[in-house]
Amino acid sequence: MKPKTWHLNRREMLKGGGVALALPFLNGMSWAAPSRVLPKRMLVSYFSYGAYMPNGPAGIPNPDKPHHDWSWWPCRDAGPLSFNQSSKPFESLKDYVSYYRGLDHAGGWALGGHSSGDVFATGADMVGSQKTNSISIDQVAANVHGHKTRFASMVLGTEGGTGSYGRSKTLSHRGPGRPIPSMNKPQEIFNRLFKPYAGNGVEQVRAGLKREASILDLLMDQSRSLKNRLGREDQGKIEEYLESIRALEHRVERTSRWTHQPLPDVDTKGLNLSVSHGDPEEYIRCMYDLVYLAFQTDTTRFASLMLESENSSNSELWNYATYVLGYKGATHDIAHKRPADYSGQWDRWRAEQHAYFLQRLKDTPEAEGNMLDRTVVLWGSAHPHASHSTKNYPIHLAGGNRLGLTHGQLHSFEGEKKVPLANLFVSMLHAVDVPVKSFADSTGSMPEALA
Amino acid sequence: MIRRGLALVALLGCALQLHAAPEGRAGFESIAVPFFKSNCVKCHGSEKAKGQVTLHDLDDNLAGERNLKRWELILDVLKAGEMPPEEAVNRPAKTEVAEVTQWIESELRKVVEQGREEVVAPQVRRLTNFEYENTIRDLIGFRLKLTDNLPKDPEKPYHFNNTAEFMLLGPEQVDRYLENARKVMASAIVDPVEPEVHRVRREWQSHGLDRGLGLDEVGVWGNRRHSPAHGMGLKSFPQTGDFVIRLQASAILPPGVKGVPLRVILGQTIQLNSSTQRVEPVGDAYVVNSIDEPKVYEFRGRIENFPLERGRVVRGKRQPDSRVITPQVLYDDGTLNDGNRNLIMPRVVINWMEFEAPVADVWPPEHHTRILFDSPLREKDPDAYVREVIDRFVSRAFRRPASKAEVDRFFRIYKLVNPELKTMEASMRETLATVLISPQFLYHTVADGKLTSHTDELASRLSYFLWGSMPDAALLKLAAEGRLAESEVMKKEVSRMLADERSKDFVRNFTMQWLSLAKMKTVPINNQLFPRFLYYVSAGERRGTEQPYRPTIRDYMLEETTGYVAELIRRNASVASLVDSDFAWLNQPLAAHYGVPGVDGNQFRAVSLKPEYRLGGLLTHGSMLIGNATGSAPHPIYRAVWLREAILGDEVKPPPADVPALTDTAGESAEKALTIKDLLARHRQKESCNDCHARLDPWGIPFEHYNAIGRYQPFVPKEGARVSGFNEKAHGDLAGYAAYLRSINTEKVEAVARVPNGPEVEGMAGLKNYLLKHRKNDIAENILRRLLSYGIGRKLTTHDRFVVGELIEDSAANNYRLLDMIIAICESRVFSGTAGK
Repeated sequence: MKPKTWHLNRREMLKGGGVALALPFLNGMSWAAPSRVLPKRMLVSYFSYGAYMPNGPAGIPNPDKPHHDWSWWPCRDAGPLSFNQSSKPFESLKDYVSYYRGLDHAGGWALGGHSSGDVFATGADMVGSQKTNSISIDQVAANVHGHKTRFASMVLGTEGGTGSYGRSKTLSHRGPGRPIPSMNKPQEIFNRLFKPYAGNGVEQVRAGLKREASILDLLMDQSRSLKNRLGREDQGKIEEYLESIRALEHRVERTSRWTHQPLPDVDTKGLNLSVSHGDPEEYIRCMYDLVYLAFQTDTTRFASLMLESENSSNSELWNYATYVLGYKGATHDIAHKRPADYSGQWDRWRAEQHAYFLQRLKDTPEAEGNMLDRTVVLWGSAHPHASHSTKNYPIHLAGGNRLGLTHGQLHSFEGEKKVPLANLFVSMLHAVDVPVKSFADSTGSMPEALA
Repeated sequence: MIRRGLALVALLGCALQLHAAPEGRAGFESIAVPFFKSNCVKCHGSEKAKGQVTLHDLDDNLAGERNLKRWELILDVLKAGEMPPEEAVNRPAKTEVAEVTQWIESELRKVVEQGREEVVAPQVRRLTNFEYENTIRDLIGFRLKLTDNLPKDPEKPYHFNNTAEFMLLGPEQVDRYLENARKVMASAIVDPVEPEVHRVRREWQSHGLDRGLGLDEVGVWGNRRHSPAHGMGLKSFPQTGDFVIRLQASAILPPGVKGVPLRVILGQTIQLNSSTQRVEPVGDAYVVNSIDEPKVYEFRGRIENFPLERGRVVRGKRQPDSRVITPQVLYDDGTLNDGNRNLIMPRVVINWMEFEAPVADVWPPEHHTRILFDSPLREKDPDAYVREVIDRFVSRAFRRPASKAEVDRFFRIYKLVNPELKTMEASMRETLATVLISPQFLYHTVADGKLTSHTDELASRLSYFLWGSMPDAALLKLAAEGRLAESEVMKKEVSRMLADERSKDFVRNFTMQWLSLAKMKTVPINNQLFPRFLYYVSAGERRGTEQPYRPTIRDYMLEETTGYVAELIRRNASVASLVDSDFAWLNQPLAAHYGVPGVDGNQFRAVSLKPEYRLGGLLTHGSMLIGNATGSAPHPIYRAVWLREAILGDEVKPPPADVPALTDTAGESAEKALTIKDLLARHRQKESCNDCHARLDPWGIPFEHYNAIGRYQPFVPKEGARVSGFNEKAHGDLAGYAAYLRSINTEKVEAVARVPNGPEVEGMAGLKNYLLKHRKNDIAENILRRLLSYGIGRKLTTHDRFVVGELIEDSAANNYRLLDMIIAICESRVFSGTAGK
């Protein structure tokens, strides 16, 4: 791992012991000082089963027909945005949102209609060359700027865990074969973000961390000796464990570093953390609120939020449309039947929740602008109307107006004009100061997104 | 011995026969190529690649995983007669097929026996969350709820998640393991001072019996404020430890009712208009004694496993946390939605209730002294004592004797933390917590030739297979003596383990995944079509929503299925019982749902069946029928997939990308009263859909008599007819509802289909008949493969093919008995890990 040298130094210091360890350690590491530069943030969020596009099931509206009032696309033609019924919630955010049509990840094409959500944030070619998923856009950013906040990134979902190949329950991946489990319980997320010491005093926490660092060292010994006794196939599995312990060591270092910064004081008014899936609107808004609070307190700058997953038949998500709209059937059925009355309503409901989050960011002043100005928010799905199709995603980008992005347009990349969705990812990364040359199968950046 | 001799003769016979047939390349050229050319490549060749299978590019090299898989697939479909398809003109003669399958099989055997290029799946895999929680339970001696704090294990329908491929590990997980480990040790090791005992008691008197329920009564509905049904609040309790709840209760039984199921739950208060309160059941009782002979009932649990209500902050001061004990009457005879009729339903009278915690027969409790045992060494030579404590604990936690180096390492941790944590108890908690995040604990035990012997591995393999947990002392002892691999010992152990209570965990976990049952819990039931299936709140803000905090018929259905499978194993019944049986595993609410009379109480038992119940076997279980329906109507495709995957053992591919969906799915058809059979027929008219659906749909049609809530329903509304809506007033009770259904359901459902490569079958009876007559061996092989795959924690490959073949032959000779099958699996060389080594 990269920070090997200071890693060792710090360990020596911790072993040096006691009370004296703390302060010089912090001051010596100048990069740990809070930065005065305003933060640049990013959220990637995903909804499943595609969206309602009755006049163009493959994701591109029919140019010969009038635009459908309940299509997910706000208007038919590329150019300045006008809003239909489905996209109405974004009308007041007109200058902060853009729609991108005709984009997708080539890596998801062969994954099949039930699985392409796996690569929404990664663009990995899981069927062809790569076999496994690869690093996601939020983690690319977190690897560069994550050290500036208490948490490098925050991985949320509505179902929790990692899921499995083709049935992902998380958008974020550390690298090939290393999904990051998403957290889905509001109370737990809140505690981890804002009450990480579980009621203990800072001194107690530091003593605990010091102990932990030494214990992890001994565990490493323990595991290495096990690894050496095993066959080659099995060593890979133990390596997975060793890596986890190493990552924990980093976390311990990081946490002890951050014990010198006061915890943010979070206003929990109106935050119902014991909310359940039985009340989808409360629940989803609570998840959005947690992202908002994490951004607002600069607890983290990069987040992913898997709002829905394709394979949710074992979870309450399966019943969301029933709870919200009184739809008689599984939420997933809306994607297959596309009933005229419910499909648009369902998209509209999703849009309302997302707009709620964007509006909250926009209503929070920050320097000369607002928080949305400095937050890039991606929202989309890995299918168009035809739910088994894996091309032409519905893509909605918002915010980042003071990070070089521009909005208010519907961009269209049909036919000849087609470029990889990853090009947009490259521009998103550039906006948050991550100077990548490429991401996944990108062929460049997305000049259309830039001011 | 005799068996082996016979097998040898059979093998020789084979060899002799094969001798005549050309082998290797010669056979490929003279047998396989002409056969493929004339029968296969038209559809599976360079021009067409139906089902993404091509044969024109095969050569005589069968080695290599990819080739093996392809050839095995070809062999299987040829043997089963699935290919060439029935509609093909000029199907090959049976002898031709036999010739080519013989060639493939013998070539496959050669490759497998040479063991060439065998890809060894990693054996090191972490414990599943289920195994992890069980292991901790058996290690410390009591159950702690721990999985809620872990990331959910991945799942995939019809696959077991205990393979290395699924059981990944990341830092988040290790982080949670560490939190859990500390929580575990905080509960397992107590401080030496005997703690204060918390006691709460409350009594109830029967006032005002003239109207409604008495103030000391708990009924199904109509419970009054201040009655025991509103529970007993607790403001003081210990952080950890055992508690006991005692209550004196008796039953008021209407004529014909034999007893009342009483459940005690503990957690947050449920007397709110909210469905999000968290509670956990403590225990169940069946109350039959009358009020003239009140009886005391006792319930026990671990306090830390029950949710609590955080105290509110009042004027800057946090009030104490609280919990509430709530007794519930779970009586359900199928009339729960008939409105509030509390006085004609059975009730429970509770005179008083007591709570006491912590309770321990001795102090410190046994689970403490099991770790920090009594010994003069503790005073005489504390370091030696600490080492001994570590040695004993690690040897159990690692499921094999600890090495000196390992004890040393943990001893160093002890020494490291002791100056700071001061007491031996605190330091030992921290030290042993690290044992619980060591890879030797978190990962399955694998022989390494040094510290872990082959029999150590075998002991763990057995216990994780049959208990989902660590080996007990007896198993570890046999492992240490190296005797576990002996056939007689193994037989005895497997029988002993399956008779143990812990084997229920295995059966439940295995069956849930094998039959892919979990999704049945979230299918949205259409409460307009099935207004009486779930139990709805009858008044208040949440009127009409599902009643929370009490088990539903859906929950019971999971026990119906898992308990049934456990009973089959206990009886050593034949695999045929999976298809049909003369008994079902039911309790009263379920029996009422299925229309089986004479079952009282909520405890499950084997109930004898009559033909008119239309039950028996797994195929009519509500768990499967609901999970593979839409909540409104049956879904024949889901059910067909289920039958083929779970019962027949076929792998059904998911629909490819970009196929149009079956737009008129079953749900809509029921609402519009169209028949699904016609819809599917229309769907099949498209050639792209037909290739797969022609082999799929017919399997689902015979299930059509069973509706979306798992009941037998041979009649549906007439096609296109307008039906009168459900009227709560007129059809509110059971009898009225039955009359209503009779009035609208007038058309007989068609459930006749010709199964692929088989005869026409009519309804469930026809399907069962066919399966028992023609597919018993396939079903048995499927069960056997799944049990084996679950037991060894990896997918089976072509390399296991011939071992499975032998096992299934033996099983066939023994009428495919399930318990014997499990014993044979444990004795097999694939399970014991000697295959290929």
